[in-house]
Amino acid sequence: MFFQQLINGITLGSIYALFALGYTMVYGILLMINFAHSEIFMVGAYIGFWALTFLPLSIQNVVPLHLSLVFVSSIVGAGLLAVLVERIAYRRLYGASRLTPLISAIGVSIFLQNIMQVGVSAQSQPYPYPQSSDIMHFDFFGIQVNSLQISIFLLAIGAMIALQLFVNRTKLGKAMRATAQNHTVSQLMGINVNLIITMTFLIGGALGGLAGVLNGMYYGSIKFNMGFFPGLKAFTAAVVGGIGNIKGAMIGGFLLGIIEAMSVGYISSAYKDVILFLVLIFVLIFRPTGIMGEAVTEKI
Amino acid sequence: MIRKLLLLLSILTLILAGCGQSGPQVVKVALVAPLTGDISAHGQGMKRAAQMAVDEANAANLFPQYQLQFAAFDDRGDPKEAVTVANQIISDPTIIGIVGHLNSGCSIPASQVYAKKNVLMITPASTNPKLTQQGLKNVFRLCTTDDVQGPFAANFVVDSLGFKKVAVIHDKTAYGLGLAELFRTQFVSRVYPVLSFVGIDVGEKDYKALITKIKSTGPEIIYFGGMHPECGLITKQAKELGLAIPVFSGDGVLTPEYITIGGPATEGDLSSMTGLPPEKLPAAQKFIDDYARLYPNDDMQPYDPYTYEAVKMILEAVRQVGTNRDSLITTVAGINFTGILGESSFDEIGDTRNKTITIYRVTNGKFVYVD
Amino acid sequence: MKITRKSILYAIGIIGVLILPILMNQAGNFYAVRVAGLVGIYCILGVGLNITIGYTGLLDLGYIAFYAIGAYTAALASIAGIPFWFGLPIVIIVGGLIRLGLGAPLLRLRGDYLAIVTLGFGEIVRLVLVNLEPITNGPKGLPRVEEKLLDISIFGFKFTENIHFYYLILAFLLIAILISYRMEHSRLGRALVAIREDELAATLTGVNVARVKAVAFTISGIIGAVAGAIYTHWNGFVSPEQFTFWESILIVAMLVIGGMGNIAGVILGVVLLVAVPEVLRASLGTAFVDYRMLLFGIIMIVAIIYRPEGILPSKRRALELKPIEAE
Repeated sequence: MFFQQLINGITLGSIYALFALGYTMVYGILLMINFAHSEIFMVGAYIGFWALTFLPLSIQNVVPLHLSLVFVSSIVGAGLLAVLVERIAYRRLYGASRLTPLISAIGVSIFLQNIMQVGVSAQSQPYPYPQSSDIMHFDFFGIQVNSLQISIFLLAIGAMIALQLFVNRTKLGKAMRATAQNHTVSQLMGINVNLIITMTFLIGGALGGLAGVLNGMYYGSIKFNMGFFPGLKAFTAAVVGGIGNIKGAMIGGFLLGIIEAMSVGYISSAYKDVILFLVLIFVLIFRPTGIMGEAVTEKI
Repeated sequence: MIRKLLLLLSILTLILAGCGQSGPQVVKVALVAPLTGDISAHGQGMKRAAQMAVDEANAANLFPQYQLQFAAFDDRGDPKEAVTVANQIISDPTIIGIVGHLNSGCSIPASQVYAKKNVLMITPASTNPKLTQQGLKNVFRLCTTDDVQGPFAANFVVDSLGFKKVAVIHDKTAYGLGLAELFRTQFVSRVYPVLSFVGIDVGEKDYKALITKIKSTGPEIIYFGGMHPECGLITKQAKELGLAIPVFSGDGVLTPEYITIGGPATEGDLSSMTGLPPEKLPAAQKFIDDYARLYPNDDMQPYDPYTYEAVKMILEAVRQVGTNRDSLITTVAGINFTGILGESSFDEIGDTRNKTITIYRVTNGKFVYVD
Repeated sequence: MKITRKSILYAIGIIGVLILPILMNQAGNFYAVRVAGLVGIYCILGVGLNITIGYTGLLDLGYIAFYAIGAYTAALASIAGIPFWFGLPIVIIVGGLIRLGLGAPLLRLRGDYLAIVTLGFGEIVRLVLVNLEPITNGPKGLPRVEEKLLDISIFGFKFTENIHFYYLILAFLLIAILISYRMEHSRLGRALVAIREDELAATLTGVNVARVKAVAFTISGIIGAVAGAIYTHWNGFVSPEQFTFWESILIVAMLVIGGMGNIAGVILGVVLLVAVPEVLRASLGTAFVDYRMLLFGIIMIVAIIYRPEGILPSKRRALELKPIEAE
């Protein structure tokens, strides 16, 4: 049972980790908790759903082409939505108190949830792909793993490695790190800070969209309020790992997923979230900046 | 200033509502349910069903002496909003009957508000026994309480299915937990203890860890107290983990959306529902057909038939005694109503006497009644 | 005293707050009285949370936990046969001790980490209320079938109607405002401002940072717990589903939209965020009932974009040195 729970936890953790990247990137640049990210995730899942349902049959019949179009459309769509949200609801607020964009983000979150509920449906929508015949099941000595779980894990790891390389190896990534450290100085060095912020939302949103589609495929149905719970967990994961840190978000995501599965398996299903949040509190008491977070010297 | 503006506005709305119309007396039937928020799918269904009942009465010109209107209110499944809405309703003297609320947590405090003004309230969905045990004479309940369905299901598992190993899961809501507890009590009294009794969180998606744990205890059937979104995921994930046993649930699950969410994994799952199957009641079949015709894009939700029936009952009482609030309550208390749920009447505390339970099984992707 | 336009406006406002609800009640508009009472409850919560967020600059995303603790403590005391006025000290002690116990290890965390921990604590409290059935009756709420809450009474006068509770809430709100006002304009208040401005400099000038923070944090929690106690008695029933994370967020939104650190701003924010959905409810009617929350979201975004510092920003905060950018 232990290994089965481990598999359960890792799959759950992959989704949390992908989701957490969006929170952590925006926080790294803007020191802002982007509450609307859970709705970007939800919209990403819906875009994937529409692409699965409404693309012409001639495309739907070519499965690899169809699937790549599904992923591309939801990644691009969610990324653009995140950029749009930033432009409309956050950009004018950076000079004000740190809490101000937070409140705007909550407004966006309420708006997006309700527009999907009223405009699309209040009910769950079944995800048309994969059908159970599309999934391969493996049985290793009584431990059940399926092809979907493996793909989710690999995609999550792949996305994170790519992101890490982008941030560390490219010029744009370097500009991003510089902006995270100091906006004014970066601007003086010729970095277009607004462009960097746009890039951050684009990438974060895109990863959120990817997580949304994977979530829809894995659990088989989507709903307008699907972002709330995983959003809360993913955000917690980002903080546990050390918010603003990409590796931290990954570690935090997997850690939370595994802790969740193990608490259900060995302690209590009813108290699993209590355990999760207690872990959060203890991590922060003993390592106030999270597992991977660096101790920041206070500026005076 | 703003507060004054608000008050001014509400006065205006009241005045407009009060004297906007001339001619026949305006009579309103109100529906209160979560129309926005997480469980709005149920609330929206209830709104459709209630609207349908009122429209039918108007189309048949049942009340030429009144101008019959329908009013829907949103409580978002939040007790605080429920009480606010209740106060809004009692401020409108033209509302003669209320159908709602959905959650017991909303119905209980709101019923106390309605009681102050003697407004008739029939809940089509709140199953917490406490609601009718408060001693309020204006409160009626058309659905059965959990203490009928749970034990019935337990007996069915023992007698008809012959299973002895049951894992019980509930969703930690007043409804789900209540149902699961009463199932367990009856099941245990039939000699067998249950293998496990665990709660899950509404709105979560991943129950694999829980199912892995349950699987290790070797159950023959899972009993679930709660709503369809969670139950659909549980049955799907159970089969993915190689736990190919049926899931048995209550009326909160009996909706096509359950099969949509769970997919082929739901085949063979069982669910209980109050009343006779519609196939045995011509009126119910007509309701189902009309509903499908009027709302081709929406599935019927589990409480829609009860909501429809409750509105019909209120209208029947109005037909008999007019719009006096006290006589309406007395009339409903003594009513003997035949409709889409079969024969319904209320006992001395206001619970329905119609306690027939039908078991349904998913067969070829549809709920089909078993006996 | 010179009669100015401003003082006339104030006088009209005060008379309105005192008299209008009773007129509404007479006119049979119980809805307006209920909304006025709700505004009052959220004003108490807003004033309480303002002490944490507005004065000390600590972001608390789990404030609703203390509202819940107060509500459940009061319900349990009342069920045990303890009248409200004797139950209230218990609520204050329980709420205060838990708040202090939470604050002691956490107040050394900075900014957003404190925010996420309070968020976690809020969820923990809600989940414990759901799961700790023997005491809280779980999701089925209190009081249980065979139990009853005692009415609040003063000298034999029983509080049963909305209008009674409106004036009770108003009285408690005045007390909360008084406490808050005294805090702001006292040694403690100035110490709080100093901490918010620059913690290190405050320490160097002899402010006992840890103690000052803990005192403010605790008083803020107690005010929330008291609001919960009143609310439970008003509603006559308490269940865990009303203490969600969104509720905490909503109160924070009220502060930011109204104007943090400023009591008038806080009250304005509450009036806006509690009253706007109700005005929408009353004016949209059955046809547009589904669009209520959608409009609410849009109004929130628009309000914050056009008044980023809040509608009535605090004068003191406006004068403070602002960092040129977020560090």
